[in-house]
Amino acid sequence: MRLIFKNLNILRSIINAISKSSEIKEIVESAGAHLPNLFDFSSFGVLWKEGLLLYIYQDESCPPSFSQDMAKNMARVFSVLGEEPVEADQLTLEVGKRNFRPKQMVIDPNATLKSHLTLPLAAEGEVIGCTSLTSDQPNAFDAQDLQFFSVIGYQMATTLKQFERFSSIKTMAIYDTLTSLHNRGSFEERLGIEAQKSFYGGTPLSLVMIDVDHFKNINDTFGHLEGDRVLCEIASLLKGSVRKKDTVARYGGEEFVLILPGAGLGESAMIAERIRHLIESTPIRIGQGEINLTVSLGISNFPIHRPNSKEELVKMADQALYEAKEGGRNRVFIFRPGHA
Amino acid sequence: MARVTKEDKNGKWPSDLVLDLYRNLLIEIWDDVSALIGEAILELLFTLAIRKLREKYPFLVFVKVSEEGISLSGMREEWRNLSPLEIHRGFQSLINHLSHLFSVLAEGVINKELFPKVFPKFREAERIVSQK
Repeated sequence: MRLIFKNLNILRSIINAISKSSEIKEIVESAGAHLPNLFDFSSFGVLWKEGLLLYIYQDESCPPSFSQDMAKNMARVFSVLGEEPVEADQLTLEVGKRNFRPKQMVIDPNATLKSHLTLPLAAEGEVIGCTSLTSDQPNAFDAQDLQFFSVIGYQMATTLKQFERFSSIKTMAIYDTLTSLHNRGSFEERLGIEAQKSFYGGTPLSLVMIDVDHFKNINDTFGHLEGDRVLCEIASLLKGSVRKKDTVARYGGEEFVLILPGAGLGESAMIAERIRHLIESTPIRIGQGEINLTVSLGISNFPIHRPNSKEELVKMADQALYEAKEGGRNRVFIFRPGHA
Repeated sequence: MARVTKEDKNGKWPSDLVLDLYRNLLIEIWDDVSALIGEAILELLFTLAIRKLREKYPFLVFVKVSEEGISLSGMREEWRNLSPLEIHRGFQSLINHLSHLFSVLAEGVINKELFPKVFPKFREAERIVSQK
């Protein structure tokens, strides 16, 4: 009886630790730390469908081939349970090694996976992954192990489902649903961070406002669905034209904006000109044919234009864009104080 | 908890006998296995097994599974048109496929508990079918 209470207490601690975790790695670490008190095992793993990630928590003495055995076994089980077959080499493995076995029980370097318990992580009728306990010993697990492990698996599934929900809410809050670029709100937030860094640190910061020329004609002639597709293609061209640290956002309608941290006026003009040329020379599929579109671009820069705030930096880039439009479109215009 | 609606036991057709036998066996499987792996996972496994076999044995779609258990209620009239042999084969395939899934997940841990209950019932069903 005392043993049952002890085990139930350990189980309670594991469930508590899982439910408090904020990412999958934490689930594996916190559950893994308690599991040796409940089971005799060599390795414990969680496979999550999102990104096909396999996190393994195992004893220090487990040979690398053991992780491979485990990956193969979990991919096999997941393929039987899931909707699409998965191969072990599609999985991204992250292995955490810990010393949880007594010295006299270290695993033989040639050990192979001899027994396992693998359970689907099922939430709301959907298989979102699986979890597995494995051993280098045959018949290492019994019915009571299965009962305890299923309770742990249930809590993992519930927590992972919450992560999925949170991740999709976060995505909706940051990205534009049509183009998958940063949305206006996220742009404002990022600009705030970058402007603060630049204004206080004295590093350059450029902003490029971009507007698709005569976009209204596309919507009027081909319809809004084709118009949306054109915006997606332009978004993808923009994403491919900037540096990793830059931010590309949809500012609204057919207007886009780039935040270029660390870029001086010369570099940002070069990037803007490259984008102008790329869009002008890339045929975009529309209706049954193809067209070549053009864009107008306006640039502002800190410290050259001496903006006092991020809002002023935006206003300056917007003013430059207006002048690019007025100047005949399909051109890059750098903000000039006093030009209104 | 397994749930079954009470049905009229007067008409003891062979199909009814086979159906009753498998209904009780499925309830027993549900009770035993859900205690080991939980209702949510077991529901998923039943759903997978039925999906796998529904083309060959369309009547299996009338087996309703939820976290509350298994229900075959109200289906007697539908199933009376089927031969006892077909009912036997359909349910036998369902249970065999479930056993396969149990062994994929937990090797012999679940089946060790289950086999002693399942095989005598298979033999009994075969006896009913052969008497026809």
